[in-house]
Amino acid sequence: MTPARVAVIRFPGVNCEAESARALARVGLEPELFMWTRTPSDLRDFQAYLLPGGFAYQDRVRAGALAAKDPLVETLSEEASRGKPVLGICNGAQVLVEAGLVPGGAGVELALARNHMPDRSGYYARWVYARVEPSPCVFTRGLSPGMVLPLPVAHGEGRFTSSETGRVEALARAGQVPLRYASSDGVDADGFPANPNGADAGAAAVCNGAGNVLALMPHPERAQDAGALPAAVVGVWGEARAAARLRGERDARGPGLLLFEGLRRHLMEA
Amino acid sequence: MAGKRAVAQAWIEPVNDDPEAVSALAVARAHLSGGRALRSLRRLRLIELSGALPARAGLEGLLHRSIQFYNPAKERCVVRMAAADALPLGGREQVVLVFERGEERRGGAERWWRHETGRDIEVREGVAWVIGFEPLETDPAGAVAELAALRDRRHGLLCNPHAQEHRIAAGKVPLPWITLRT
Repeated sequence: MTPARVAVIRFPGVNCEAESARALARVGLEPELFMWTRTPSDLRDFQAYLLPGGFAYQDRVRAGALAAKDPLVETLSEEASRGKPVLGICNGAQVLVEAGLVPGGAGVELALARNHMPDRSGYYARWVYARVEPSPCVFTRGLSPGMVLPLPVAHGEGRFTSSETGRVEALARAGQVPLRYASSDGVDADGFPANPNGADAGAAAVCNGAGNVLALMPHPERAQDAGALPAAVVGVWGEARAAARLRGERDARGPGLLLFEGLRRHLMEA
Repeated sequence: MAGKRAVAQAWIEPVNDDPEAVSALAVARAHLSGGRALRSLRRLRLIELSGALPARAGLEGLLHRSIQFYNPAKERCVVRMAAADALPLGGREQVVLVFERGEERRGGAERWWRHETGRDIEVREGVAWVIGFEPLETDPAGAVAELAALRDRRHGLLCNPHAQEHRIAAGKVPLPWITLRT
């Protein structure tokens, strides 16, 4: 079977395209780096899309704001409306939110706002835990609700919020928050640092109603090697890390690959 | 010498061409319905200080010597202490002020001020987008409103209303502006 082609869209300023492409290849997909200067209609030749992390257009005006206006994103929107999967990671998530592809109703419904952290501000990077929630999201397909994934975050603007009170909570009730920040044993994050940015409803990710477009703030592509997990990670993934190191298998499959495997499963069935 | 409670604005603009404003102008012209007749788009940082402030010379000196406010090698600063003071705006330009909702205070600048002067003041910051249109634009006020608030991929750019506030002024800019109740 020919591997499905996935376009990894490279706006000027992104910096996570190589590891994102590696993660896609490791689960049996065929990634291709797609430069922002290419003709947007070329995107139609792909079965799925990934907007990687970084700083598209240097975060000018606002993170994701300028890339969201790019004609490529218009084509992405058309392809997403046909059911093709789109994954935005960190800065890619900011682009999807600023473009209104997530949560996917009428226009822009959310912001990925500056982190809310007690006694500090700005960029924040650490490993956190995210709990899988019941959701139609294709990327968490096959993962059991309640499963906890250690994933790194690294951002200054990652707080899912809305001017409409309770909007993100309502999305969570509708299954459009497939990952929520939690403790290592899966209990709702009770504030900073388990919820590293103060996101409404502890949302680490928000998807559209159909589940094929996902805005994800943590970086699964940085958690694709079990042997590279930090020593502080506990639970089954801490044990996997220890075993991988003992065997000298630093690139044993890590928790981040599970989301890419969900994409592969979906594409095989589609 | 500190005086009675007052409000001052520092309008801070890059000395050289500002890539952020250049990119915003290009994207707005190319892709947004309100941007087709844009002639110019400049980005200034607007800092508002309120409290027992010194007279103009003292205030300008404090702003100049602290890294909390601006870099005199890269930016110029115009201080406004009264509504009649000049603004760094052209006659037909409009201004869109954008700031993060609930995040406009600058704690580091306030601590520096207290350390330097022994006085507590409040410091707030936003971004002032200064906008000019070609004469062919028949509804510049409508076009500015269209550019200001993000609605979808083709409408709005400067402010995401889900996390930010914006205000628009033409000609007369309030003093204070960030704390102005609308």
